Amino acid sequence: MEATIEARGLRKRYGSTLAVDDLSFTVAAGQVTGFVGPNGAGKSTTMRMILGLDAPDGGTALVGGRPYHSLRTPLRAVGALLDAGAVHPGRRARDHLLWMAHSNGLPRRRVDEVIEQVGMGPAARRRAGGFSLGMRQRLGIAAALLGDPPVLLFDEPVNGLDPEGIRWIRGLLRSLAAQGRAVLVSSHLMGELEGSADHLVVVGRGRLIADTSVAALLATASGDRVALRTTNRAEAMAALANAGATVAAIDAETVTVSGLPAQRVVALLTERGLPFSEVVAHRASLEEAYMELTRDAAEFHTTVGQEA
Amino acid sequence: MTATTTPSGAGFAGLLRAEWTKLRSVRRWALTMLAAIALTVLISLLSAASSSFQTMGGSAPPIGPDGVQVQDTFRFVHQPMTGNGEVTARVLEQSGVEGVIAGWAKAGIMIKDGARPGARYAAMLLTPGHGVRWQTNFVVDRAGSAGGTAPVWLRLTRTGDTLTGYESTDGTNWRQVGSAELSGLPETAEVGIFVASPNFVRVERQFSGTSVSATPTWSTARFDNVGVRPAGAPSAAQWRDEEIGVIGLGGPDAAGGPAAPEGPGAPDTPDLPDAARVSGVPDSTGASTVTGTGDVAPRAPDEDLTRMSLSGVLIGLMPIVALGALFVTAEYRRGMIRTTFAASPRRGRVLAAKSLVLGAATFVAGLVACVTAFLASQPGQRASGYKPPYFPSQSLLDWPVSRAVVGTALVLALVAVFSLAVGTILRRSAAAITAVIVLIVLPQMVAGALPLTAAQWLMRLTPAAGLSIQQTAPRYEHVAGICLPESGCFVDGPWVGVGVLCGYVAVAVAVAYWLLRRRDA
Repeated sequence: MEATIEARGLRKRYGSTLAVDDLSFTVAAGQVTGFVGPNGAGKSTTMRMILGLDAPDGGTALVGGRPYHSLRTPLRAVGALLDAGAVHPGRRARDHLLWMAHSNGLPRRRVDEVIEQVGMGPAARRRAGGFSLGMRQRLGIAAALLGDPPVLLFDEPVNGLDPEGIRWIRGLLRSLAAQGRAVLVSSHLMGELEGSADHLVVVGRGRLIADTSVAALLATASGDRVALRTTNRAEAMAALANAGATVAAIDAETVTVSGLPAQRVVALLTERGLPFSEVVAHRASLEEAYMELTRDAAEFHTTVGQEA
Repeated sequence: MTATTTPSGAGFAGLLRAEWTKLRSVRRWALTMLAAIALTVLISLLSAASSSFQTMGGSAPPIGPDGVQVQDTFRFVHQPMTGNGEVTARVLEQSGVEGVIAGWAKAGIMIKDGARPGARYAAMLLTPGHGVRWQTNFVVDRAGSAGGTAPVWLRLTRTGDTLTGYESTDGTNWRQVGSAELSGLPETAEVGIFVASPNFVRVERQFSGTSVSATPTWSTARFDNVGVRPAGAPSAAQWRDEEIGVIGLGGPDAAGGPAAPEGPGAPDTPDLPDAARVSGVPDSTGASTVTGTGDVAPRAPDEDLTRMSLSGVLIGLMPIVALGALFVTAEYRRGMIRTTFAASPRRGRVLAAKSLVLGAATFVAGLVACVTAFLASQPGQRASGYKPPYFPSQSLLDWPVSRAVVGTALVLALVAVFSLAVGTILRRSAAAITAVIVLIVLPQMVAGALPLTAAQWLMRLTPAAGLSIQQTAPRYEHVAGICLPESGCFVDGPWVGVGVLCGYVAVAVAVAYWLLRRRDA
């Protein structure tokens, strides 16, 4: 089975709300695809349609080229973490994994392996009702990994995790992708995906806003700006502006320069004998890039909200 | 990654294991199951201890040849007949002494193994409501020609142990109605004419209770052409007029003796009609008028002890209802149903696996509860007066008892699956549990407040009909009885009610399946 997820023209309506509107994207093997959008953008609905839980009103979702409901042992094909709270509080974590294993004919040993893999350890023998949110997330991830599937979906996996947990999840996502799996991770905060996602599918109001690699997105957002550190900010700014650049002060010692490549900036400053300690190409943060992308969608959102 | 290899396939067995793991791994559910068992046993014990049966004077009812308790009270004008022979009579008229007559009042001819109550017999008889009947040994009944009314000729013949009954409209052309082997019938048996008239039963039903009272009735029949062949000694002297089964009369060996000129007289009870004091011995032309009371029929026990010993099930069923609903609604409440359907996208199979696992587990628990309740109730029932000879002792190995015990466990399992299906339909614990409990328990509570027919239909058509499996007393077409739902009587037989419950389960599961396929998880 190929490790892919393919959404084609997905559409879902709840009453008068169009939750997902003609959404198409592909999740490729070997990378982490971030599925980003504000709350209510239709991310969870899309994931449920991929998993055959909600029936789309239009379009199709394929996993490894097949509709989910045609999979006989789906846990071996797709692992999913939808809601970490979806565990009976009276059931031990291990029993929760055990019934899932039985339902797909997975050996009992897999249960112990995933418990080990997510670092639940002795907590697996406790009833899930007493778990912290972080422990429940680990249990949910263990459940997703149970069938050793080539395709993985995680809905907001870092919600409620401490920094150590977030770091652990990032490492896990990277390693899963490195093993050649297709990994789809949703988040309403772009920052959470910084450093883990290779590709982004950005949605707003149920529609696709961007389907792009992280590198390309950052390049667009960064433009060709250069960041400069200098102890003589005023003279440096004047000199660069005279050379035709647009200069903006960031703080007492830092300015950004656009309109001039970095080599020209260095040459100009050296020529004038102005001191500088650092000249780097400016890197926009993912958060910045996302804000730029979704600004239109957010405005649209606000307008609709006022009308309603 | 192993996912690319074709899995050996978990199949349906894997789903069953998965659902069983779910069921056993929630401690509260195991406790609920135990509570159901404990409640069933405790309430049954309580019921056995709080009921009481007392007798004042009198003796235990006689036991018929088939071991069942019988009523064997009637007026019998008889004489001994040795070896093969026949007895014939024409019933001219049948009437009630007080103007009304019971549908099952009897007038006819009989061959009986002596006058001892409970002794084997064969009879041809006429009833006002049910025509000509052939009856033997209390439990066997066969109708003669439809709409047979007086006057009618009746004949019984004996050939060895074979007895055959005939009817005729003219005394010439005879039609056989029934035939039976009465093994063990002695060489000399008592033959003659008899009259019986069952009690008038009055039922008063109010919301708070029901009272049943029975008053004796008398009926009179006129016969002629009464004859016995081969004729013995002078026939008038042979006849003996006797009230069978009346306390203090007719000793066990009163029959078969030599001709007595005068049998023991009728008791001089104040409410005995004058007609009953007239001797019914046929005159020289074979004409006779006989007045009698009582009945010759199997006797319904005052209390169905097996049912009583299982009465706690109605309470024990409630935790089962809750468990059945929670087994699925708990998954809806936490969103775990999505995990379930993501792991097994074919939802019908999940429903089937859930039903089977829950049904089987409930059946086993129910069986433990019912067997324990039955066995544990026995000493309490005996202490409360329910014991031989008034009540036969019962054993788990008797078919009606084991049917009731196993059947009750089956009913519990069906109720659990019904509750599961309703839970799947409603997806809310409280709504599902309330709906099922109302459907099962409410009819039992309101039945007493409804008119009898409405109450009977209510108990036939609601899922509680399944509890009819707890009845062990056989039902006889030829015995008029009043079926009071509030006393645990169901109009239909044991399996019909279970069939009704199965119908509910089937419909609920079908709707649940349809909704599961249609709805988003």
